[in-house]
Amino acid sequence: MSNPQDPLLSVRNLGVVYNTSQGPVHAVSNVSFDVRENEVFGIAGESGCGKSTLIKALLRLLAENGTATADRCTYRGRALMDMDEEDFRREILWQEISMVPQSAMASFNPVHRVGDQVIESIQAHRDDSRAQAMERAAELFDVVGLEPGLLKSYPHEFSGGMRQRAMIAMALSLDPGLIIMDEPTTGLDVLVQERILRRIREIRSELKSSIILITHDIAVIAEMSDRIAIMYGGEIMEQASAIDLFENPHHPYTLGLKNAFPSITTLGTELISIPGSPPTLVGPVQSCPFAPRCPFDDAICHSANPEAKEIAEGHIVRCAHSADAARFRELAKEKSTWLS
Amino acid sequence: MLDYILRRFVYTLITIFAVATILFIIFRMLPGEPTMQVISPAMDPAVQERMREAFGLNEPVWKQYMIYMKNLATLEWGRSFVSAQEVTDILGHRFWNTILLMAAGMCMTLVLGIGMGIIMAWRRNGPVDLIGTVVGLIFQAAPPFITGLLLLMVLSYRLGMFPTGGMYAPGARPDGVLDLLMTADFWHRLVLPTLTVGMYYISTPMLIMRDSMLEVLGSDYIELARAKGLKSRVIMMRHAARNALLGVVTISGIMIGFAVGGQVVVESLFSWPGMGQLMVESAAQHDYPVAQGTFLMLAILVISLNFLTDVLYSYLDPRIKITAKGLS
Ligand SMILES: Nc1ncnc2c1ncn2[C@@H]1O[C@H](COP(=O)(O)OP(=O)(O)O)[C@@H](O)[C@H]1O
Ligand SMILES: [Mg+2]
Repeated sequence: MSNPQDPLLSVRNLGVVYNTSQGPVHAVSNVSFDVRENEVFGIAGESGCGKSTLIKALLRLLAENGTATADRCTYRGRALMDMDEEDFRREILWQEISMVPQSAMASFNPVHRVGDQVIESIQAHRDDSRAQAMERAAELFDVVGLEPGLLKSYPHEFSGGMRQRAMIAMALSLDPGLIIMDEPTTGLDVLVQERILRRIREIRSELKSSIILITHDIAVIAEMSDRIAIMYGGEIMEQASAIDLFENPHHPYTLGLKNAFPSITTLGTELISIPGSPPTLVGPVQSCPFAPRCPFDDAICHSANPEAKEIAEGHIVRCAHSADAARFRELAKEKSTWLS
Repeated sequence: MLDYILRRFVYTLITIFAVATILFIIFRMLPGEPTMQVISPAMDPAVQERMREAFGLNEPVWKQYMIYMKNLATLEWGRSFVSAQEVTDILGHRFWNTILLMAAGMCMTLVLGIGMGIIMAWRRNGPVDLIGTVVGLIFQAAPPFITGLLLLMVLSYRLGMFPTGGMYAPGARPDGVLDLLMTADFWHRLVLPTLTVGMYYISTPMLIMRDSMLEVLGSDYIELARAKGLKSRVIMMRHAARNALLGVVTISGIMIGFAVGGQVVVESLFSWPGMGQLMVESAAQHDYPVAQGTFLMLAILVISLNFLTDVLYSYLDPRIKITAKGLS
């Protein structure tokens, strides 16, 4: 049973395989992490590294060709994967874990009013009357900075930023323990992004919910998260508190990602992107997934997938050469390192 | 939305006007002398001439066209060459007979087709899906006169379960539409022609509904609906079926157009006294006023049903309003 020190969500060795005509796609492998009460847990990584797949596996939303396995996957002590379909729908979905999907633009049904779609998520889990649910929806719209009158609008009458806010309002509707935000600002223009993020921060300080924040933008994650996991090729390469990850990064991929995004501290320095592209994930991996693009790779990297090592309290790295991190950090600043 | 409907209505009127004009041209290009039926060549040439004048046939073509349009608008559609009855009177009866049969056929097609489509998508690749697809395609491949004949041969002639045709027993002609609807005999006689129409057209809404459902089911808002923990029945109906319906409404405008055409065959086959049958009869008897009136009436029916489809669509899809504003 759950006790206060237990993590809110605990995942061990989660794997997802998609069956495709090209063979099995290992979209997520060996993923282990905890989300604590009242924290923002960031997951960052390039497109296609399995971030969305990971959360869909948690919420049982995988496409038909996807199968998830895990040694453990508990929410407040309850084993999610063993739950009966109907219990999971009634007690976990939205009630305990809600989400802001990757494409807020397309995630509203175009033929129903926004308000009706918000109250639908309330009424699916509570016996509220329509009026009560509407009142709650108006309250939520107020929280995210939308006119309650807009509840009567249709989704196409909203701008991208408004839809995103409405999505966030909807995700808050049942005071869930965990809100998963999948790239909540992708596709919005920078100013709107900034406003949405500020709103998320504000809500966060008033809220008891934990948040899993997913993005491919490491700068966004850096300023929002308490702890961060860096994903590559379906695996978590490095996981640490936000401070540790930025002051003491160990994995070459983390170093590369940091180079590729502008931040306050690196302002003025040239951005270096990692050459090459992410792996296709077809077939099982027998080596470090990042090895083909890693500037520091050697024979060991190509012969076996390294185990995850806890190099300091709560700082986990999956790299055969994590002991050389200090040297990598210096070399990673040079553009020539990445281009050779 | 009112804006949009108004504009569609104006387009509808323009289309009807265009069809009327085309009819005018066609009927004047037809081989043979349409007036032969009335103005016999055996008559005194002076009498012939006077009759021509009375019919306005001496006037230049543009003036004839003006008279034609005025008569159409004022419902002076002329008299039958054969029975001398007013064309509008004849059509008045026939119109409702056609509507009844069409409504029955289309209701069966749409209700059953849409329902089947939902089930097939819900249980895709299951037995219902497979059987539905195969049977639907077989029905569609068989033209109505074949299916109708088969139904007649087996169910009427062989088994005697249904009358072979007509809307009512000989000599039992009811007074009005309502009276007709009250007789069990009418419903009995409605079964076979409705089945014939329904079988032929059912695959269209069924397969379209199935495919749009499958397309909609892959969309992001369905995924979110699942994440919200809605019941799968609610997801299927309120989100998937509701949106997939748009595809069916679009296609049913076209389908109803074809169904009006198919009506001619079915009515002839089942001796159903509707406009389709009237069209064949009047054409065979060179009864030009009736033929012309029937053509026009059927065209107006198709065009109006398309208008209604558009209105229904704009009601079902709130995004239409934007399009309407964009157009104006
Ligand atoms: N239904 C599917 N079938 C096969 N492969 C899939 C499917 N969904 C996603 N993938 C693959 O899984 C990998 C991870 O995708 P995704 O989880 O969407 O990544 P991210 O959210 O990090 O961009 C990608 O290589 C993608 O092509
Ligand atoms: Mg994604």
